[in-house]
Amino acid sequence: MNTNTHDRQGGGGGGSFLSRLGGLDRRWIFLAMGLSIAVPILLKLRFPEVPGPMARATFDAIESIPAGSRVLLAFDYDPASAGELQPMANAMVHHCAARGHRIVFMALWPLGKQMADATIKDVLLEFHPQYAYGTDYVQLGYKAGNEAVVKLMATDIPQQYSTDAAGAALASLPLVADVKSTTDFKLVASISAGYPGAKEWVQYANSANPEAFKLVSGSTGVQVSQLLPYYPAQMEGLLVAVKGAAEYEMLVTAAYPSADKPDLLAERLGQGRVRMGPQLVAHLLMIGLIILGNIAMVAGRSRGGAR
Amino acid sequence: MNARNTNDDAGQPDGCPPAASAATPARPSLRFLWLSLAVLGASLTVFGTAMAAQDAGATDAAQATVALSKSIGIWCAALMTIGILTFLYKDNPFYKVCESILIGVSAAYWMVNGFWSTLVPNLFGKLMPSVVREYAIPSLPVSDTPGFDMALAFVPLALGLMLLWRLAPKGGWISVWPLAFIIGTTAGIRLVASIEADLLAQASATIRPLVVMKDSVLAPAAGGGSAATAEMAATAVRTVDFWGTVGAVTGVVGVLSVLSYFFFSLEHKGAVGKSARLGVWFLMITFGSAFGLTVMGRITLLAQRLEFLFKDWLGLG
Repeated sequence: MNTNTHDRQGGGGGGSFLSRLGGLDRRWIFLAMGLSIAVPILLKLRFPEVPGPMARATFDAIESIPAGSRVLLAFDYDPASAGELQPMANAMVHHCAARGHRIVFMALWPLGKQMADATIKDVLLEFHPQYAYGTDYVQLGYKAGNEAVVKLMATDIPQQYSTDAAGAALASLPLVADVKSTTDFKLVASISAGYPGAKEWVQYANSANPEAFKLVSGSTGVQVSQLLPYYPAQMEGLLVAVKGAAEYEMLVTAAYPSADKPDLLAERLGQGRVRMGPQLVAHLLMIGLIILGNIAMVAGRSRGGAR
Repeated sequence: MNARNTNDDAGQPDGCPPAASAATPARPSLRFLWLSLAVLGASLTVFGTAMAAQDAGATDAAQATVALSKSIGIWCAALMTIGILTFLYKDNPFYKVCESILIGVSAAYWMVNGFWSTLVPNLFGKLMPSVVREYAIPSLPVSDTPGFDMALAFVPLALGLMLLWRLAPKGGWISVWPLAFIIGTTAGIRLVASIEADLLAQASATIRPLVVMKDSVLAPAAGGGSAATAEMAATAVRTVDFWGTVGAVTGVVGVLSVLSYFFFSLEHKGAVGKSARLGVWFLMITFGSAFGLTVMGRITLLAQRLEFLFKDWLGLG
């Protein structure tokens, strides 16, 4: 029974190559896809990335505000999307710190605070140990309420966040003591995996004060088609999935290398480029399979017509 | 028997061969047992090898210390990852266990998170602030109007209780009122945002010159050093940006043709039909692009898990 099943699925019967291809067991495709991703990771394949206009616009937006500006970074994602978004977050925090911007971290997703904490530890304090809590950066943490949080932050931040994540009153933290609303920031960045995220920042914060601050975003591939219409009119920069992360990493590491920890910087700000190697091989495999599948389908139809 | 076959088949991914359990019920269990033992044995072997390598590579006592909690966490994550990936071969109890753990942990996490991030600070913190401050959130802000806050907090409390009335055997209609409140407020909040950000701002962004101009700087002629040449070099001239123009025209044509596809007051014949047909092409390209981006995201997820397995778990690279 099993043999028959596998003959039917895998085409062990002696038909032509194309007819066997039509009945190929999908698990062979899974295996091929797994290998196409695993082998480049093991071989550490890296390909050069040419920064596109959207990654460059994001880079330019952070460059264009005066050094030492107050910026708001919203970590609107959780570990499920860290593969795509953590490389962007790492690069953005390093970029902001290298420019001397003072960073306020927050999260619309419950685990976003933990993702921000990891970035602070691995990137901010690792490469910029001079950054002091309260004056150079503040962690506001997660707040429940989805778009209502953004809407209230656009008008009254102290009402939304009366304390930071550790319970210290905002008034006691020099960086945020005088902050009233999102208009007190020069730039707002949302690293976003979905709802609530970048779309809500456009709808409830940027629309209320379109000229008050620059808005940039990094997004997962799944969500980015919803955000593309906002670029560039309502969103100055947009990092598109891991490709955008890799391009942005290229720009940031080229502009702001680390003199004392170059290898560590290459590792921490190279995750996006590392993940582009498997992307290339897997995409080539997929394109090949689509072409082969269509050829098999057309061949099958012709045979059906002939009969 | 037929029912059993149907259930067995329903548990398989499409295209995968059905389980042999219908014909020989005992064999898959044994196979799975052997498979589980093999995975466990391999895991223990790798664990032992990794620990031995760590010990051998250590040059002093401090480096030889094993972070037990971290190691257990990594091993749990690695086995769960492999357990979920086994579904690609076929449905199996190992996958079911991992899936159930994921669902259970997620549900519990969201419940606890909702309690501590919403109910405690926003409801109990208003109703009995001193108790919450003493036992739960020492940094709970002190309100200037505690009485008013408490009175106001009874509104969401009542609405919440009304919502839970749905579980009661009688009076289910009571839960409709808080639902109506939720729907009404949500619609109100989103309506304004959508009109501002999606309708007006998007329409404004679409209305733009079809011919895009750009500033170009004239390069000075080779060897030319006159003042006039230098002045010319510094002067920006306006030229047509070809690709910008192509993008602008494509955007406007795309918006109009897609809108015509969703315009049902006129029959899709003649010019309207052709425009709608063009709109379908734009939609198909959009869906294809969205699919491609989704695939890219999924490949990244798998790459990240494999990176974890190779690097953090097995110590390769």
